[in-house]
Amino acid sequence: MSQLLLDLKMEQPPTLDNFVSGANAELISRLRGLTDRGSFDAVYLWGASGCGKSHLLAATIAAARRPSLLLAGEATGTEIAIAPGMLLAVDDVHELGEAAQVALFRTFNAARLAGLAILLAGHEPPARLKLREDLRTRIGQTLVYEVKPLSDDEKSAALKRHALLRGMKVDEGLVRYLLSRGRRDLNSLMGVLDSLDRATLELKRPATLPLLKEVMQLQFDTDDESRSV
Amino acid sequence: MIDIPKDEELSPSDRWQRCVGALQRELPPQQFNSWIKPLRLEVNPEGEHRLLVPNRFVLQWVRERYLPMIESLLKENAGQELELILVVNETAAPPNPPPSLADAIDKTDNTIKVATLPNMAQDHHAVYERTRLNTAFTFETLVTGRSNDLARAAAQQVALNPGTSYNPLFVYGGVGLGKTHLVHALGNEVWRQNNRKIIRYVHAHDYIADLVRAYQQKAFDRFKQYYCSLDVLIIDDIQFLGGNKERTQEEFFFAFNTLIEAKKQIVITCDTYPKDIQGLENRLISRFDWGLTVQIEPPELEMRVAILKKKAEVTGVPLGDDVAFLIAKNLRSNVRELEGALNRVIAFAGFHSRDMSIEVAREALKDVIGAHNRQITLELIQKFVADYYKIKVAEMYSQRRTRAVARPRQVAMWLARELTPHSLPEIGDAFGGRDHTTVLHACRTITDLRGKDGQLNNDVHVLLQSIKG
Repeated sequence: MSQLLLDLKMEQPPTLDNFVSGANAELISRLRGLTDRGSFDAVYLWGASGCGKSHLLAATIAAARRPSLLLAGEATGTEIAIAPGMLLAVDDVHELGEAAQVALFRTFNAARLAGLAILLAGHEPPARLKLREDLRTRIGQTLVYEVKPLSDDEKSAALKRHALLRGMKVDEGLVRYLLSRGRRDLNSLMGVLDSLDRATLELKRPATLPLLKEVMQLQFDTDDESRSV
Repeated sequence: MIDIPKDEELSPSDRWQRCVGALQRELPPQQFNSWIKPLRLEVNPEGEHRLLVPNRFVLQWVRERYLPMIESLLKENAGQELELILVVNETAAPPNPPPSLADAIDKTDNTIKVATLPNMAQDHHAVYERTRLNTAFTFETLVTGRSNDLARAAAQQVALNPGTSYNPLFVYGGVGLGKTHLVHALGNEVWRQNNRKIIRYVHAHDYIADLVRAYQQKAFDRFKQYYCSLDVLIIDDIQFLGGNKERTQEEFFFAFNTLIEAKKQIVITCDTYPKDIQGLENRLISRFDWGLTVQIEPPELEMRVAILKKKAEVTGVPLGDDVAFLIAKNLRSNVRELEGALNRVIAFAGFHSRDMSIEVAREALKDVIGAHNRQITLELIQKFVADYYKIKVAEMYSQRRTRAVARPRQVAMWLARELTPHSLPEIGDAFGGRDHTTVLHACRTITDLRGKDGQLNNDVHVLLQSIKG
């Protein structure tokens, strides 16, 4: 019989400090600058799903020392309520609806007068975004950063730190196995570690390679089922 | 209509409080708290009524949206005509923004921070206050080439003789080619020649929003009067008027006719030729043809280089020809993205304390154009590999194990592991439901063979390059 667990989550709120920056040091420094009310920059960051864009947007907004607003592309409406000197962040700009694109276009036009800083994120570089041309080129005029994926060594360090924070003991071999067999993005890999942690508690077994294999197989089967539905 | 009892005995401060009370009842709380609450009324010994506003942004906002309403309320209250002077006074701002600023923001998002209103006073030039022109956009900072020389000449001519040479001046061209810069330069030049001219730059979106607001605030006559009093009206992106309500077009038609008849200058920009504007009334379109229609075309390579060098010069950054050419070759379609790319290269060099060399530019441009980051899927890899080895895509997930199909399949699996975030089981699944150990074996085999088999190494290299794009 497995141990029932209390639904206590260890998740940390996203901050710029707990983002494993890897080759993204310049970007992080730029985002720190945006939190200051004296900055009127516009920044667009892009990268594959799972590279940490949403983390960075939420972290920057959380650190802002100025009025700020975080919107999800899909949920952005026909009006964006801007305040003078605000930091406006819009995630997933590729999901902006037609009216929301006009709203963001107007916000760009008002940005200089209203002293806004703008932070946007999307899944592709500006040239490939399928948005209104007048909006797309305005995004292209911002400072564009690709959120660079971590190297295997950086991922390994990040996974060990994540495990440590959860109070898990994981050895080098286990991390190497996870890196060579699992998905490549850090979010998924940390998700596997979390599942492994839960499994160790539920089954009262140590975090070993056989248990990791079981967890990964179970996760793959579950994903497979959801894909085929 | 707001009803306020007249009382000649009230002090200016009481009158203001009554006026504020009426506005509070009339306006949504969010608008009231953001824009009206921070205002203070002051009457100096000369009897001048000065409305103190915390910064220039609020000043502009209040002047455009609420001033007629405030003046009318004070007039009713005082029983006489009052002229209000808006004055920026930073001490008028409360130490923290009114709570409504937070109300304006999505409350479901608990990451929001509210801080004090910024001091915007130093950010805007006085010219901009009255005209909405950007003082940075002048003819001196506008780079000219074959693609825009005619438009520039026409704009300069109009700036010298507003209302008499070409009226309206209709400038059209694709997005991000410098139409807005050109018309701002025109406006700034008119201002430089004669700063008593009443010039107004307005984006079509804002024109429509002003019109709607005028209706809502019953200030429609003032709106009409204002637009008809201009010496130069510059309206940007007129295509946005198309598809709007007939009434909006009707009002613009009226303003257009009044200004033209009074020999006042109208300058229009649009993303297309007048006859191609969707949803615009024919009588308006035909009037756009009365003056001169000029096109701005995409800049050719030399002009793109010149634009970059000019922008770098303005920024005070030395920019070599090789770097300028590299950026100009990669960003072809419009000036806006060209500028973005240059800024990115400057930022990169600055952060890493490096000179603006060609290597630095190449590195920085990777972020901008994403040269190596085409959306790569397992299907894309399978198709590329199948085409390269001239086998059917179906062989990628078939059960056949002859060398002719097994090796390409292994190459594809190796590429999938290198170029996508998928796990081994996911890759196995996409290749006909194979086990993850089969994928692992394929990856190891190809890694091993690349060191021994020159032909295979070349195949993998070519495939890597072509899939990355």
